[in-house]
Amino acid sequence: MTAAPLHLSLAIIEGRHLLGLVDEFIALLDGPRDPADGGLNRLAPDPYPDDAEASAEYRRSTRDDLFDQRLADALDVRTTLEDFDGTLGDAQNVMLSRTVTIQPDRVNGWLRTLSAIRLVLASRLGVEREDAHDPEDPRFGTYDWLGYRLDTLVTLADDAG
Amino acid sequence: MSTPASVPVAEEELTSAPLVPWELVVWDDPVNLMSYVVRVFRTYFGYSQEKATRLMLAVHHDGHAIVATGPRETMEVHAQAMHGFGLWATVQRAPQ
Repeated sequence: MTAAPLHLSLAIIEGRHLLGLVDEFIALLDGPRDPADGGLNRLAPDPYPDDAEASAEYRRSTRDDLFDQRLADALDVRTTLEDFDGTLGDAQNVMLSRTVTIQPDRVNGWLRTLSAIRLVLASRLGVEREDAHDPEDPRFGTYDWLGYRLDTLVTLADDAG
Repeated sequence: MSTPASVPVAEEELTSAPLVPWELVVWDDPVNLMSYVVRVFRTYFGYSQEKATRLMLAVHHDGHAIVATGPRETMEVHAQAMHGFGLWATVQRAPQ
């Protein structure tokens, strides 16, 4: 938890894009939570790779809680971003920036949500090594941009104390 | 934190608890940002910036690092928290 609210500056087009990603993430968590979904499984890794029984027991007791917490985090992030869908939804100049205010007790939820969305994207894109992607490949634009924004947020949070 | 009443309890625990602790291991992945991992170690475990950075670099260069040691139940709670932050954590028995 940090001491002061964070002020994250986002272009309107970024805010809309982020809101779209958060909505997709909410749909994933609010859906059937397919046990075979690689993205979801990356968010709930196996704690005992050599002990299937212990892992299954752990999953039974934690997996739903973990996803419920993620859903609560993501819904909270969505609330903070909803202006990008509402009053700013018809803005003509989408490059104008807007400041998003994140309260201290919401900062961890924001960090968890942005990093989780990035992990799901990475899973969908098959990112297995740090240098595995071509920066010219347009599919990685969102992934790289989200990493940049997450890093911005970590810096803001660290500076806030 | 330290009170006279707590001393006998601690001694009793020392004699009855198994001596083999458990470890929380965090594994390298190509996705999580270094700055983010340092922050998680610092804010969740209360580690100093130096210790958090050292552990993050160990994860990055060695592929994994033991970030906490203790009773199995505690390590499972930590693992769940790490998973909540998106880090790839496992629990294992410490080598004898």
